[in-house]
Amino acid sequence: MDLRAGDSWGMLACLCTVLWHLPAVPALNRTGDPGPGPSIQKTYDLTRYLEHQLRSLAGTYLNYLGPPFNEPDFNPPRLGADTLPRATVNLEVWRSLNDKLRLTQNYEAYSHLLCYLRGLNRQAATAELRRSLAHFCTSLQGLLGSIAGVMATLGYPLPQPLPGTEPTWTPGPAHSDFLQKMDDFWLLKELQTWLWRSAKDFNRLKKKMQPPAAAVTLHLEAHGF
Amino acid sequence: MDIYLRWKRPSRLVDNKRMRTTSDFQWLLSTFVLLYLMNHVTSQRKETPYDLKCTTNNLKMWDCSWKAPSGAGHGTLYEFCIDNRSHSCYQLARTNIEIPALSHGDHEITIRSLQDAGSSTSEFILNEKNISLIPDTPEILNLSADFSTSTLHVKWNDKGSVFPRHSNVIWEIKILRKKSMELVKLVTHNTSLSGKDAVHHWSWVSDLPLECAAHYVGMRCYVDSPLFSGHKEWSDWSPVKNISWTPDSQAKVFPQDKVVLVGSDITFCCVSQEKVLSAQIGRTYCPLIHLDGENVAIEVHDISVSDNSGTNVVFMIEDNVSGTVVFAGYPPDIPQNLNCETHDLKEIICSWNPGRPTGLVGPRNTSYTLFEGFSGKYIRFKRVEVSANGSYHQLLFQMVPNQEIYNFTLYARNPLGRSEATILVNITEKVYPHTPTSFKVKDINSTAVILSWHLPGSFAKINLLCQIEIKKINSVQELRNITIKGVENSSYRIAVGKLNPYTVYTFRIRCSAETFWKWSKWSNKKQHLTTEAIPSKGPDTWREWSSDGKNLIIYWKPLPINEANGKILSYNVSCSSDEETQSLSEIPDPQHKAEIQLDKNDYIISVVAKNSVGASPPSKIASMEIPNDDLKTEQAVGMGKGILLTWHQDPNMTCDYVIKWCNSSRSAPCLMDWRKVPSNSTEVLIESDQFRPGVRYNFFLYGCRNQGYQLLRSIIGYIEELAPIVAPNFTVEDTSADSILVKWEDIPVEELRGFLRGYLFYFEKGERDTSKIRGLESGRSDIKVKNITDISQKTLRIADLQGKTSYHLVLRAYTDGGMGPEKSMFVVTKENSVGLIIAILIPVAVAVIVGLVTSILCYRKREWIKETFYPDIPNPENCKALQFQKSVCEGSSALKTLEMNPCTPNSVEVLETRSTFPKIEDTEIISPVAECPEDSSGAEPENHVVVSYCPPIIEEEIPNPAGDEAGGTSQVIYIDVQSMYQPQVKPEEEHGKDPAGGAGYKPQMHLPINSTVEDIAAEDDLDKTAGYRPQANVNTWNLVSPDSPRSTDSNSEIVSFGSPCSINSRQFLIPPKDEDSPQSNGGGWSFTNFFQNKPND
Repeated sequence: MDLRAGDSWGMLACLCTVLWHLPAVPALNRTGDPGPGPSIQKTYDLTRYLEHQLRSLAGTYLNYLGPPFNEPDFNPPRLGADTLPRATVNLEVWRSLNDKLRLTQNYEAYSHLLCYLRGLNRQAATAELRRSLAHFCTSLQGLLGSIAGVMATLGYPLPQPLPGTEPTWTPGPAHSDFLQKMDDFWLLKELQTWLWRSAKDFNRLKKKMQPPAAAVTLHLEAHGF
Repeated sequence: MDIYLRWKRPSRLVDNKRMRTTSDFQWLLSTFVLLYLMNHVTSQRKETPYDLKCTTNNLKMWDCSWKAPSGAGHGTLYEFCIDNRSHSCYQLARTNIEIPALSHGDHEITIRSLQDAGSSTSEFILNEKNISLIPDTPEILNLSADFSTSTLHVKWNDKGSVFPRHSNVIWEIKILRKKSMELVKLVTHNTSLSGKDAVHHWSWVSDLPLECAAHYVGMRCYVDSPLFSGHKEWSDWSPVKNISWTPDSQAKVFPQDKVVLVGSDITFCCVSQEKVLSAQIGRTYCPLIHLDGENVAIEVHDISVSDNSGTNVVFMIEDNVSGTVVFAGYPPDIPQNLNCETHDLKEIICSWNPGRPTGLVGPRNTSYTLFEGFSGKYIRFKRVEVSANGSYHQLLFQMVPNQEIYNFTLYARNPLGRSEATILVNITEKVYPHTPTSFKVKDINSTAVILSWHLPGSFAKINLLCQIEIKKINSVQELRNITIKGVENSSYRIAVGKLNPYTVYTFRIRCSAETFWKWSKWSNKKQHLTTEAIPSKGPDTWREWSSDGKNLIIYWKPLPINEANGKILSYNVSCSSDEETQSLSEIPDPQHKAEIQLDKNDYIISVVAKNSVGASPPSKIASMEIPNDDLKTEQAVGMGKGILLTWHQDPNMTCDYVIKWCNSSRSAPCLMDWRKVPSNSTEVLIESDQFRPGVRYNFFLYGCRNQGYQLLRSIIGYIEELAPIVAPNFTVEDTSADSILVKWEDIPVEELRGFLRGYLFYFEKGERDTSKIRGLESGRSDIKVKNITDISQKTLRIADLQGKTSYHLVLRAYTDGGMGPEKSMFVVTKENSVGLIIAILIPVAVAVIVGLVTSILCYRKREWIKETFYPDIPNPENCKALQFQKSVCEGSSALKTLEMNPCTPNSVEVLETRSTFPKIEDTEIISPVAECPEDSSGAEPENHVVVSYCPPIIEEEIPNPAGDEAGGTSQVIYIDVQSMYQPQVKPEEEHGKDPAGGAGYKPQMHLPINSTVEDIAAEDDLDKTAGYRPQANVNTWNLVSPDSPRSTDSNSEIVSFGSPCSINSRQFLIPPKDEDSPQSNGGGWSFTNFFQNKPND
């Protein structure tokens, strides 16, 4: 991200101002349950942040995989990466999903993807790559936690992993290095698609859960704003 | 018999191609000859069995066959007899027989054919040499493939039991590839027979992965038995066995995940059911080599080192991608600089440089194993990180109890190879201790401390060598080495002595083993102040009597820190004589002076300095001063920063010498400082930061004798002499007509700034305001200088001066440091009155005398004088001729006189002429010319000249506004023109008499009038004939015709000067030469020509 010093100072000033006024916002001071809105917003923001973080990670990792994986027009078929959760879904199907299903699918997908990513981290040959992957894993873990939080707020149970279906990372002789690289490639690709999809999901959920704007205004006015 | 004709044995070595080619040729030749002979023989022997041939495949049995004679039917019987010692015959109904191998030598064979028509007999001579040894066709027992390594394994039985032992067998194996069975390899494999059947193995690594194409293997053999003298021939080829890989539905690329050496050649292939479009390694696309079906291969030559994740080889298939990763790297380098040492004698650290990077990482990275030879222990190096270039690797090896010598071998291994390095160490000689920690300092006394530190390790078996750095402030650091017995508990203590009391020390320590290998790193620094001790000496003391002589002032100097041994708190002063003792105690430290009222007795003064620990030994000094009558004051000048005082040794001086000094301008008692020197000294260099150049100091040398001090010498001196800063104040005491008496005063010592060496007195004539003494030293001749070196002289009389004259006097003092400033004064000498009187009287007297003598002479010669100087003059009125009045001419009637004085007119009327002015004709011509430029542009005077060559134009256009004045002006201008154009000086006069064609001067002014303006050629002719030449080069003028518009703006200075004007066209006839001349641009001609040429445009 190309942020100049001036921009940073401006943002910092803005942040300080917001923080200064935070205690005065009555909506934040109330002790009651804030509802799922903030946590959905946070999850959405985290998704966007992860999207940004993945762009940098993918660049590094694809360069590590070498050509042709780092070539922009390389688009291999999905070989052997069947265990990866697919993010692509028919629009009609997606629309037909309810909130619980959406969140459950997200949660399951990220649990799987996180597991694969950790395996990727163990395999990486350079320390720098390992650092980047570990950092991303931590963020993804955070997203998983956020989704779990949202689900808890909405009263949905967390999906229980079926015994034996826990994805495992088994780098073995059966898996050639090339297929491994293809899997890595697809892992990054699926991760990207999932983040897009999640952003869309959370945005939809956010809008759905948002109370009417007039009510908020009224509420604020009543507290002397 | 054909059996004799078979002379050629098969070549022994088949794989020698060259040899085989030669033998093939010989075969052909011999076969040709043989066929000819056989035909010849056959034609003769067709009636009998013929063409007996014997072969063997095991050297034990011979298989002989012959051809039946013509006419032999199916039921023909043959009798085969071998004529040897035991004559044996065989009856048989076929034309071949297997007989046991015959012994060496010729054997007569008789074959008789028994048939109905009768019998026929053939005789053959059979020798082993005629027998061919043709082994049985070998059979491949097993052909297997290791696809991962692309290796084919062939297994076969040599059937050695049928042959005698020690026969050599050559196996020829051929490898064919693809369904088209292209021969890719033909190799020979030698074995020897052991007399038993043996199974042989042979392996071959294919360059092409075996998965990609079917491979076929066939073999034959050649038995080279030394016991057999007959022909040996190759067996037939065995039936080929093939190996192929059953592809699955997915396209696959081989070899998979292979590690290869950088620079090697490698073939990749893709097994695919679909068409392969392209293949690339890294970013490089490779041409496809088509194999069976849709399978393809690529060849990569001289592969370069791979990236961390390997080099990708990718085959693009329709709707699919398949690939593999190859890892190109190097085998591990020999570990360099393998070194093993220990920090604590518990663990051995072996470190090494891995050398050249292998280019392989992760699971293919080099693995290291450190093996110890004596104990047989080993440890493996596990490395997670990709090491940076050239970084050292290290391994920790737990020491084996009671083992000091270790023999380490470090094995390095990766998929491409292995290497090793060894080192034999005595570990007690390779101790590199840790950095000492918990370093502490504790006092023992004022000169000793205890240092303690912690050094982890079990050094009980060795001695440690430790180095202590002791550093004092403003002092050089001191290093002390100590040897200390190593302990098990890692705590060490040591005492350090020979320290100074009350001194800040900085300690730090490092250690090594006594058998030195490496110093540890320095411990942290510890600063420590040692405790105080009593002052080691009394203070340096001096005494002075006060100016009134009643009080004795005692001075002492503060003790230096190394003698004070602590913080001096106070001083005790006591004065004791035989009778009494006075004392002043507890004088606080900053005070270094005490005054005691004494009554001039001999006292011994003692001063004691005290710190918190105790009092110093007293320093004593006697109060008595021994008088010295023979005292002179001397002078001394210092050098540099100090002043050197010398004296002769005085044996009477028993104790020491004291030099005290003070600023001479200070009031008594005068004391700045003092210095004591031992009694055997004869000189001392007094140095002090307080000394300033140009300041006079008094130095007093005291000798110590019998407990009293005697002043031996008094010296005044300067550290450095400077020039005086003031001039001597002088006055004129007396002035006479020829001398001046000057008197001056001394310069104060403070302002003198050096020893006065003399005065310089300058004087010269001069008034106050006009005369200045400049450059006094430059030796001007009119300045007189007097150098007064007698500094006691305070007056000076300057004699031989002129009276009533102003003199400028200058006086300046000088020291060895230079000249002081000058002071000047103006003095006028008095008038000399006697001389004046004489000067008046003498001329008066002379004048009177001369007057008298002249009067007398005149009187006596008055007649002669009258005649000579004042004769009678005739009156002109008396001249008749002119009829002047008689009265006038009366008295001069002499004819002579009349002749001498002819008639003189009384008055002369003088007629005025205007000869100075030029003729009117001239002015008429010239004056309009002069006006020409003035009216047109008001240009510079030079431009007047410029336009003076165009009179007719101006005349026509511009009327002369002031003709009379112009006449004067024109003259001046005319002269200017003259000076530049000589031919134009006399225009009017020469006009008439000089025709155009005449030689000499041709005035230009008139030329345009006479000549046809347009006819330039004629003008040129004129120019040629006339003496006058144009000033500019004529040839350059024809650039522009006079009528050309261009000529309008070509008014240059030269044009104006040199170019005649055409009357009609009013153009310059001579074109411009310098168009850039700014002067011409402003000229009247510019405008005139411009406007006149407008219509032409």
